[in-house]
Amino acid sequence: MTEPLLKVENLRIELALRSGQAPVIDDLSLELHAGETLSFVGESGCGKSMTALAIMGLLPEGVGSVASGRILFDGRDMAQMSDEELRGIRGNEISMIFQEPMTSLNPVYSVGEQIAEVLRRHKGMNKAQAWTRATELLDAVRIPNAAARVSDYPHQMSGGQRQRVMIAIALACSPKILIADEPTTALDVTVQAQIFDLLRDLGRETGTAIILITHDMGAVAEMADRMVVMYAGRKAEDGPVRPVIDHPRHPYTKGLISCVPHLLAELTEERPDLTEVAGIVPSLGSFGADACLFASRCDLADDRCRSQRPPEVAFGDQHSACWKADQL
Amino acid sequence: MTALLDVKNLSIRFPVKRSWGRSSWLYAVDDVSFEVKRGETLAIVGESGSGKTTAALGVARLVHASGGTVNLDGQDFLSLEPEDLRQARAKVQVIFQDPYSSLNPRLRAEAIVREPMDSIGTLPVSERPARVAELFEQVGLRPEQMKLFPHQFSGGQRQRIGIARALSTNPELIICDEAVSALDVAVQAQILNLLRRLQRDLGLTYLFISHDLGVVQHMSDHIAVMYMGKIVEYADRLSLFNNPKHPYTKALLSAVPSVDQKRKVERLLIPGDPPNPLDPPKGCRFASRCPFVENACRAAQPPLDEIAPQHKVACIKASH
Amino acid sequence: MSISEETPPKARSPFSEAFEMFRRNHAAVVGLIILLTIIGIAIIGPRVYPGDPFDMVWIPFTPPGEEGYLMGTDYLGRDLLSLLIHGAKVSLTVGVSAAIVTVTIGITVGALAGFYRGWVEEVLMRLTEFFQVLPTLLFSMVIVALFGASLPMITLAIGLVSWPAVARITRAEFMRIRELEYVTAARAGGVKNGRLIFSVILPNALPPIIVQAALMVGSAILFEAGLSFLGLTDPNVASWGQIIGSNREYILDASYTVTVPGVAIFITVLAISLVGDGLNDALNPKLRQR
Repeated sequence: MTEPLLKVENLRIELALRSGQAPVIDDLSLELHAGETLSFVGESGCGKSMTALAIMGLLPEGVGSVASGRILFDGRDMAQMSDEELRGIRGNEISMIFQEPMTSLNPVYSVGEQIAEVLRRHKGMNKAQAWTRATELLDAVRIPNAAARVSDYPHQMSGGQRQRVMIAIALACSPKILIADEPTTALDVTVQAQIFDLLRDLGRETGTAIILITHDMGAVAEMADRMVVMYAGRKAEDGPVRPVIDHPRHPYTKGLISCVPHLLAELTEERPDLTEVAGIVPSLGSFGADACLFASRCDLADDRCRSQRPPEVAFGDQHSACWKADQL
Repeated sequence: MTALLDVKNLSIRFPVKRSWGRSSWLYAVDDVSFEVKRGETLAIVGESGSGKTTAALGVARLVHASGGTVNLDGQDFLSLEPEDLRQARAKVQVIFQDPYSSLNPRLRAEAIVREPMDSIGTLPVSERPARVAELFEQVGLRPEQMKLFPHQFSGGQRQRIGIARALSTNPELIICDEAVSALDVAVQAQILNLLRRLQRDLGLTYLFISHDLGVVQHMSDHIAVMYMGKIVEYADRLSLFNNPKHPYTKALLSAVPSVDQKRKVERLLIPGDPPNPLDPPKGCRFASRCPFVENACRAAQPPLDEIAPQHKVACIKASH
Repeated sequence: MSISEETPPKARSPFSEAFEMFRRNHAAVVGLIILLTIIGIAIIGPRVYPGDPFDMVWIPFTPPGEEGYLMGTDYLGRDLLSLLIHGAKVSLTVGVSAAIVTVTIGITVGALAGFYRGWVEEVLMRLTEFFQVLPTLLFSMVIVALFGASLPMITLAIGLVSWPAVARITRAEFMRIRELEYVTAARAGGVKNGRLIFSVILPNALPPIIVQAALMVGSAILFEAGLSFLGLTDPNVASWGQIIGSNREYILDASYTVTVPGVAIFITVLAISLVGDGLNDALNPKLRQR
């Protein structure tokens, strides 16, 4: 197997609380290969976005810091890099798009200027070159009549178009990795479908690896090659999408899939109650505990689950951190 | 069985200021009719700007309707005088979308739940505390949580408080306005199950507003699909999901990603965005994005025709 | 069932949390201590240090510290310390009363405009703009000149020129809050308009208004001092501004007669600003969510 593009090894990110240090990300390892789409899934507060920010080297000042572990990008450890080196990678080799297209663009500059700015900074293009390239990029993200729209201001565009502009900015420097943090949550479902199609096609054409952060199992099933299910800062399960969805080896994954009313191929009169995953994600204070943090919400939990952290068990390419994985 | 709620030709418009002091009307809801039978759930689905929430709030008289009638349990809700309206509000309650902004941050949970009883006066004062306790139990909150303030609850718990408040006046109709869309998936399941249990136990009627077709599929008996202020398709649950007729409904359904691999619907991509609502097209409002459009579509608005029992479609090409 | 396994929290009202936030802001606490000291002096000072401050007690222009007069005497031989202590009460009263006038008018106008919108808003906001564009100093001078330089009239004049800021803040808050779902929920629950305005929206709109009111006290004290400096004051009442005003001709020969009350005004207004700043942080929910 080829060397992965991005390799996260035993990453631990700590957050300073009044009661001491709490691990928001605890012993997380994952790999991302060129050209593939990897999805992070989980409820809010489980560390999906935190992991993405760590990969971007954008952990908010004073909120969290990498305590141990490595983030290897092209063989170099990003956790050890200087701000200067990180800036060279950010927006250039790894870029990110966010959930809220309404606020991620600067309202006082035209979209063309905002794309061109990135090109001038990272690619050293001159004004005219950057402007031409900006128009091409808008066309690439399928904004109709790009040559005219390039001088539009953000407020003149719809939410879906703004997210396309964000994607154009993210792709301006042909990054190796594109991190998309809930890119369609604020958008309508028909627009979401357009954006997903766009991301998929662009990934295929440019070979950019995509990290898709989402809470929507349906989106994972349609978009991703592999997935990482995160719970309370830890990896609950990972593996190729289809096997994980068809046969989850962690009760949390199972819960996430079955608690959502999915559209089915053939709807029937029958409507059983949804499977409930009782309770909520535990508070940060208990994140470091030597136990399965899902135990309090799990029907299968026994004393061992509550007193020992489960190791990762492999089922082919699929890995699950559950004491009862083989019973599932 | 007669309908509990019968809405006819409801229109809701907002004044919009344009440049140089000109103003025009935005028809958020344009000549919409539907009915809901007692004990059933009607879902209104649509994307942002479709007017689904405005229509529901218009039914509850929380926004002013410019035309049409709303008949609730034999009473013409829209023509009630202020004092009668306040009394009648006991029959229609709303569960809101945002569990953070829907509760007054300065009130304790028990006061929030009590508020409708206090202002409408549905129960003698002495019986209200017991009723609040009963409601807390019904929605799965513990009695000691009554004294807490909203910010001390999680999102799901806050939504339970909102549900308890809506139930406090023993309403006939509950409008659920995107009641679960701000919640995490696991909590969403808890709330959906709670809503269904309450409907069974209390015989409630729901007007369920949502953009999430999966949730709508699970909750509703009938569905109305709205696009730019108009109902484009209305059908019972199985017909709508297994046999959608309107191109917009088809596009909407095909856009939803699903974990079910057998559900290999061919994606019906609709390009672009809806037209400017201030300047709606003369003909079918979906014409500008419709893959099956022809000239006749742009000429006149298609009526909402019944093509099968319990199945109406506003598309001139759907009947063939 | 959605029950977290944490120990059940105590019912903590938004107010007690704000107080907790305020306590963590050291500058604001210092400001509050200074302010309380000044208020204490204003209340009990005249009893501890009795005597009419307008009495001529010694030779004019006795420098501070000499002949047992801690702050010296002014151009009429009046005891500056006594003037300062009695003036504290007057200046603070003017400041607080003017702030009350300001807030009362401002909240009423802003709340009605923000709640009812439409023509009510049009009329009230034109009125607000009218008062806002008036040259404030000139306008209050005219009022005081026309109706006499009594303290109530000065207070009223200050209030009349200051309320537009409060009205604007109140209106903005009302327009924001009236669209929030808990207000719609209250309407769905049959709550009457009067209750909606005063019991539902107003309490939630108060934080920025309180901050503004606190700062208002400071600026009213300054305003009163400014009017006094121009001689537009009640000559029979000792306020800090009046001390400065009456001694202003001797500013070069006996600068302490102006400096002493000036420093008193400075410290008081600074303390009020610190408290206002602390309130702003404490009452701002965005800063509190940590």
